[in-house]
Amino acid sequence: MVQYNFKKITVVPTGKEFIDIILSRTQRRTPTQVHKGYAISRLRQFYMRKVKFTQQNFHEKLSTIIDDFPRLDDIHPFYGDLLHVLYNKDHYKLALGQINTARNLIGKIAKDYVRLLKYGDSLYRCKSLKVAALGRMCTVIKRVTPSLAYLEQIRQHMARLPSIDPNSRTVLICGYPNVGKSSFMNKITRAEVDVQPYAFTTKSLFVGHTDYKYLRYQVIDTPGILDRPFEDRNIIEMCSITALAHLRAAVLFFLDISGSCGYSIAQQAALFDSIKSLFMNKPLIIVCNKTDLQALEGLSEDDMKLVMEMKSEAMKTLVGQGGEATDGSNVLLTMSTLTEEGVIAVKNAACERLLDQRVEQKMKSKKLNDCLNRFHVAMPKPRDQKERPACIPQSVLEAKAKQAEVDAEKEKRKLERDLENENGGAGVYSASLKKRYILAHDEWKEDIIPEILDGHNVADFLDPDILMRLEELEREEGVLQGLEEDDDFEMDGAELTPEEQAALTEIRKKKSLLIQQHRIKKSTAESRPTVPRKFDKDKKFTSERMGRQLSSLGLDPSMAIDRARSKSRGRKRERSTDGVEFMDVDGDKQNKKMRLKSRSRSRSMSRPPGEVVPGEGFKDSAQKKKAIKIAKSSSKNRNKEARRGEADRVIPTLKPKHLFSGKRSTGKTDRR
Amino acid sequence: MRLEKCWFCSSTVYPGHGIQYVRNDAKIFRFCRSKCHKNFKMKRNPRKVKWTKAYRRLHRKDMTQDSTFEFERKRNRPERYDRNVTENTLKAIKKIDKVRVDREARHIAKRLKPKKAQLQREAARELEQSISMVKAPGALLRDPSLTLPIKVKVSKPETVENRMEE
Repeated sequence: MVQYNFKKITVVPTGKEFIDIILSRTQRRTPTQVHKGYAISRLRQFYMRKVKFTQQNFHEKLSTIIDDFPRLDDIHPFYGDLLHVLYNKDHYKLALGQINTARNLIGKIAKDYVRLLKYGDSLYRCKSLKVAALGRMCTVIKRVTPSLAYLEQIRQHMARLPSIDPNSRTVLICGYPNVGKSSFMNKITRAEVDVQPYAFTTKSLFVGHTDYKYLRYQVIDTPGILDRPFEDRNIIEMCSITALAHLRAAVLFFLDISGSCGYSIAQQAALFDSIKSLFMNKPLIIVCNKTDLQALEGLSEDDMKLVMEMKSEAMKTLVGQGGEATDGSNVLLTMSTLTEEGVIAVKNAACERLLDQRVEQKMKSKKLNDCLNRFHVAMPKPRDQKERPACIPQSVLEAKAKQAEVDAEKEKRKLERDLENENGGAGVYSASLKKRYILAHDEWKEDIIPEILDGHNVADFLDPDILMRLEELEREEGVLQGLEEDDDFEMDGAELTPEEQAALTEIRKKKSLLIQQHRIKKSTAESRPTVPRKFDKDKKFTSERMGRQLSSLGLDPSMAIDRARSKSRGRKRERSTDGVEFMDVDGDKQNKKMRLKSRSRSRSMSRPPGEVVPGEGFKDSAQKKKAIKIAKSSSKNRNKEARRGEADRVIPTLKPKHLFSGKRSTGKTDRR
Repeated sequence: MRLEKCWFCSSTVYPGHGIQYVRNDAKIFRFCRSKCHKNFKMKRNPRKVKWTKAYRRLHRKDMTQDSTFEFERKRNRPERYDRNVTENTLKAIKKIDKVRVDREARHIAKRLKPKKAQLQREAARELEQSISMVKAPGALLRDPSLTLPIKVKVSKPETVENRMEE
């Protein structure tokens, strides 16, 4: 709630920082580049934008500051007074006012300069106008720097103020310095307030929370108050006075009856008198602390009288409130924070008194009636004396009994875990998972269930009447097989005998051979010359060959061979007898004809090795043969040893210069 | 433990083999080896890949529907163990397998039979037409059986007589 949480106020920057922030923002967020060659309207727009942007940012930031700080008139008077006490209301208002004027001034500056910029005629003029505008705005802020610093200080202090809810249940602890207020606070709440022997250890209000009857109570520890006239009080004391004045709380006035705080009971009583006006309408309890040092009964008479006076005052407040007849036990209490006796009693008494008061007030207010209307508890009236107890059906009772039985059994049955432990523990004994199987016959429990057979999942085939189906299948199969045989029977006629098979393979062989030859011929056709048959190199067209082929076909080749031979030239004697008969005049012509006719002329025949050719110088054939033999023997050994002979190729120079020297016009000479 | 079928080639995936791929729509694809897996990743349709069972079934190269296939049916609910039923099932599986294999063989033989007949006819025709390549018609007339003549070696004629000696 805004009322008691001042932590949300934004940080107030110092003057210099403020300027830096705004100006750098302007630089970042507005376009930065401008050229003197741009249109004048564009230049004007550029600079106007900068001025306006700066003004807007200033306005925004200053507005947030002004809005964040609380207005003293709008908040709870307790806080209003507290802030006044701490920071001086006037100064505060002044500072905020200055910020406000600064904001307005900046707005005016911006307006003026924007108006001027509308008529700027050059880049330089516009730029200097903008510089002037921004400069003036910054000067305004510089003038406001002390206010900003002051506000920052206030903000920091306000953030640390205790968050007291003025409307909820509060217990206030007040009294002279050093009487034991903070120690009491520490005892009943979790707040850890400083407790020291010197006065004014507690310099400001501290809040703790405590519970009573399921409700939360705020406990406020105040700094000690001295007995002084109101005007002389310092800020610290004023805090507690403010708290007393504005908070509707139960007040615990602490009294140190031992006097170890340095002040006598008389002084404390005097203080009480002076501030008793503040206790109006508040449940007041006088607490006598430090009873371990001095018991209440042991007090001197004067002191006792003073105490009784205080008590009577307190009683007056009590009477004013609840109108209950009391015995004063709830008004004057003793305790010792050191020994912790009576502490809880005090707290309870305070909380009780406060609660009563608040309830009373609520009851008196109008709102309560609305609440009361909503409650109504209906109780049926008994019409006769008959007893009518609650009715529970029999089945439920039985079920309950059974459940009780089962529970009892569970407690005493043997667990698997116990079994495991008996038989050697976790690693040794493995529980039999098949123990509890529910099967038709118990001896099946230990069976190994087959899962896979021959590449099939057994589970897919499982069927109670599988045998029946299998029988059907086999019958079907039998029938099918019978049909099959009939079919096969028809087919048998067309088979080939082995002889036919052999013949067929031969045929196919021959065919493939022909195809191969044809393919070879086709592939080499381009490079091979077409030569007439009489020059057959491979001796394919011999009569022996023909004879062989014919006989392989099963024919007798002899007649064919004879015919072929007869086509060739007959013997000389046969031929010559015919020729002599007709022509014996022309001897030369006859010889020529015979020469022409003779077939042997078409082939050159080499001479036999030993033939003597006139002109070589040999006597006879034997001599020639011997000479040849001698010539051969000279090269025989050389040849046998595979040595280089006369006919073998010789490289006269292995590294001719012209091949191994010289540069190339292009390329490398790695390879030669 | 279960034997699964490969999604691509329909062969059995034994435990410890292959890869399972689970798609975002929770459909599981099991592959028997990386060949099938890679084919799948290439988005090939098994119905168009020649060596898969899917293709063969689709193009009626293997047996498509048969009563032996009905024995094998995937059940989602496990049956309680019964020794007798299991025993009978095990025996039956073997017999059913035999029947199925026989039937498949017969199917394939039937498929190939017409071609065989055609081949035989062609062979007979070829024999009839080209017998003259290995056996001369003259020889056929003499000996109508199809035994091939034995190859006889013809003696070489004397070349010396032919030559003209000078």
